[in-house]
Amino acid sequence: MIGIQPIDQYARDISDEKQASVIDGSSKGTEKRYHSLHQDYPDPDAIRKLAASIKDHTLHHLGEYLAKADESLTARGVNVHYASTDEDARQAILGILRQHGVTQLTKSKSMAAEEIHLNPFLIENGVECLESDLGEFIIQLDGDEPSHIVKPIIHKNRRDIAKTFVREGVAADYNDDPETITRRARVFLREKYMQAQAGITGANFVCADTGRLALITNEGNSRFGMAPVQVHIALVGIEKVIPQEKDLAVFLNLLGRSATGQQLTVYTEFINGPRSANQPDGPEHMHVVFMDNGRTDVLASNCREILRCIRCGACQNVCPVYRQASGHAYRSTYGGPVGAVLSPILFGIRFPELADLPKASSLCGACNEVCPVDIPIPDLLLRLRDKAKKESVPSAGAIPMSPFATLATSPSLWRTAMTMSKAMNHLPIQVAPIKPLQDWLGQRTLPDSKGGDFRKWMKTHQANATRAGTTP
Amino acid sequence: MGTCLCDAFYDDVARATVEVLEHLGVSVEFPDNQTCCGQPAFNSGDWVASRKVARHCASVFSGDLPVIVPSGSCAAMNFHGNPLQFEEQSDSEIDSLARRTWEVMDFIFNGLGIKKWPGKFEESTRIVFHRSCHSRGTGSGEATLELLRSIENAVIVPFGQDEQCCGFGGTFSVTFPHISGRMGSLKLDHLLEAEPDILVSGDMSCLMHLTGLARTQGRPIEHLHAIQVLRNSLL
Amino acid sequence: MSRAAIFAKIESATAMVKAKAAYPEYDLSIVHSQPKLEGSDLWEIFTRNFSAVNGRAMTSVNELLDFLKQSNQLHGYCDPLLYDGIGAQLAAAGLVVETEYHRDRYDDYQFGITRASGAIAESGTVIIDDDRTSHRLAALSPWVHVAVLTRAEIHRAIPDAIAAFGESPNIIWCTGPSKTADVEGILIEGVHGPGDQIALVI
Repeated sequence: MIGIQPIDQYARDISDEKQASVIDGSSKGTEKRYHSLHQDYPDPDAIRKLAASIKDHTLHHLGEYLAKADESLTARGVNVHYASTDEDARQAILGILRQHGVTQLTKSKSMAAEEIHLNPFLIENGVECLESDLGEFIIQLDGDEPSHIVKPIIHKNRRDIAKTFVREGVAADYNDDPETITRRARVFLREKYMQAQAGITGANFVCADTGRLALITNEGNSRFGMAPVQVHIALVGIEKVIPQEKDLAVFLNLLGRSATGQQLTVYTEFINGPRSANQPDGPEHMHVVFMDNGRTDVLASNCREILRCIRCGACQNVCPVYRQASGHAYRSTYGGPVGAVLSPILFGIRFPELADLPKASSLCGACNEVCPVDIPIPDLLLRLRDKAKKESVPSAGAIPMSPFATLATSPSLWRTAMTMSKAMNHLPIQVAPIKPLQDWLGQRTLPDSKGGDFRKWMKTHQANATRAGTTP
Repeated sequence: MGTCLCDAFYDDVARATVEVLEHLGVSVEFPDNQTCCGQPAFNSGDWVASRKVARHCASVFSGDLPVIVPSGSCAAMNFHGNPLQFEEQSDSEIDSLARRTWEVMDFIFNGLGIKKWPGKFEESTRIVFHRSCHSRGTGSGEATLELLRSIENAVIVPFGQDEQCCGFGGTFSVTFPHISGRMGSLKLDHLLEAEPDILVSGDMSCLMHLTGLARTQGRPIEHLHAIQVLRNSLL
Repeated sequence: MSRAAIFAKIESATAMVKAKAAYPEYDLSIVHSQPKLEGSDLWEIFTRNFSAVNGRAMTSVNELLDFLKQSNQLHGYCDPLLYDGIGAQLAAAGLVVETEYHRDRYDDYQFGITRASGAIAESGTVIIDDDRTSHRLAALSPWVHVAVLTRAEIHRAIPDAIAAFGESPNIIWCTGPSKTADVEGILIEGVHGPGDQIALVI
């Protein structure tokens, strides 16, 4: 089949500027992660493997732990809701907002909320929904999509942002100094925080034993989003549950380091109830919406290890394909290596369309090497490729493999083909039977074919040894 | 196991493998019915095809002898890829092959316990060592580095972003030509910046891709498989 | 309805797992950062790590006073329970120190002095919770936040702080001033939260 893979096309067509931003951000992230782990720990891999086994245990017993988390939260006055689908989640959240008469809210970063396209839905339904994380705020102003789990505007530079601020009325004049940009956002957003009636957040972890949600940020936006409001809603994927608070020490020590090279991000919040009795600031009502949205399908599949993911973005940082193409090339909420596994199954209904994601990889394994929960991503990509073949999903540029299998299981045919391939040395590239192969040969000068030469040498070599009476 | 690449293009690498092993007192058999480990079909997701090839390979190499391969990726196919594609079925020959397969440098360093290579270069030689991705999680990378490092007059030169893949990935380089080409060119930039005398790797697939790009781009680079370096340094 | 459906799907999905992983027993010391924990005096260790993330550790109200004067932050809030020890001294030196926080005048407060509930030496973290903080916003909106604590409240390592959580429904760990690197990866401090985070030990 001839054609170009979408992700390769993105890499080809992406602007130099955008690609440079992505490569710069990603390589720095990779370095920071490495130093942060290796300067503090003699054996970071042991901790990664521990985290992986805690997550696997939780996932294999998810029913039990989710029920426990529910119980722990409910006992402390939190309203617990469940959403099977993205529509259920949107409706649940809208329902809560209507119940409390909310018309204005701020929202901190949540990949789960991105999955369900929450913002446009709320805005359509008369609720002002403002992103408070600086990067997401800018994305929202631009009507853009985040291209990285942790650094949503990794693909933008200061000039892009300054122009946006002027265009959207956040700033009166153009100024692309990063500090000025940040101060302007600070001034603009804090007024919004104070006006809002609700704050929506995600959660990085939920401890089953006490119900504590752990939320990590550097900006303090989720904290500010919850302080002046009456209602807090947390949208949480069901896979975020961990067995006990004690385990937080393992995950918190891995997450910041893997994401940004920090032992801890500036703000780590632990919440398991509405504000305490004597506290004047903070929500009186707290709601947690546990969302499935395809996670149980992933749990039932042979790629369930991907649910260990703690959304650090380290795999995106190190992935050479992600660096070349950027997160947008994955055309779904999750990009990079994690997205290549998660998106095709989570958004299963889009499988034929997203089936190229698992193919966009040289299987180098760098992602697994940096993953804080040791997800065997290359193995999962291979299983998805097997799935695509079984379901006969068409694939651009694919080379049919049955002829190869026939050749490789007939030794005499193989040996003949090898010796005959020497004729290739005298043929021009244009004769290559399929365009993708032709292009390949156009990029790389191959050495001369030596088909059969080693076998011939080996036979002579063995014969000589036998004659000489020596065991070679 | 000679590998299909050596069969087609790199006869001297297979030859050097035999010569080095024999020099170390190991007797080497080469079953002539061998063809390929099946990785191209495996990577493209056609596991029906790749299982066929893997079974052929396992039967050709059946028995008790260690199977030595001058390629990290083919070795990994045998001990990692096969268990994965056979996880729904069980095959004792496949299991046996997985247990007995060694990448050659790993075999010399960890299997035979040879930690220093008694060879030398005539003069100081700057080597950039490209550790192939399939050797991640195995002993091959360290083995190759240490053996190369121990050769007299060998200078292992560091280069930027060395953990990044060369971009070959087999069929990946055909289906994702732009990304593959860019990855390779980026790697070449970093390698050449280190001003090496020679590029060494444990995988001819990486070398074929990198040096192929290099030649087309008019910046050819001297290259050898690590096992060739070991042999040549003894001459 | 969704609840039952989700639990049913989880049940059938996990039933397929052939070998369910057991909970791994482990020693929390595996995540202790030995280099960060060098030393025996917790306040010293804390100061070193807190300074490394641009926090300011102080041991006297005079130090605080000098800093506020130098940085021209002369109007702020102080928890009434801390007024006698701290607020009064600042007021005596000419600063405007309110003991009520009015959110409609949030920009009036250039500094906020509130009681912390602890600290973590290993990471240079100040712990704040709903029960000991007089006003969440007073610790959050001013440019300068002063978290007041005692030496006895400093935990050595992260697992210790977790074990000591207690019952507060809202606990927040502050590891330096608020920051972002969203703009081209360049670090800027003072985003939504404080641009200066002070830990004052009494």
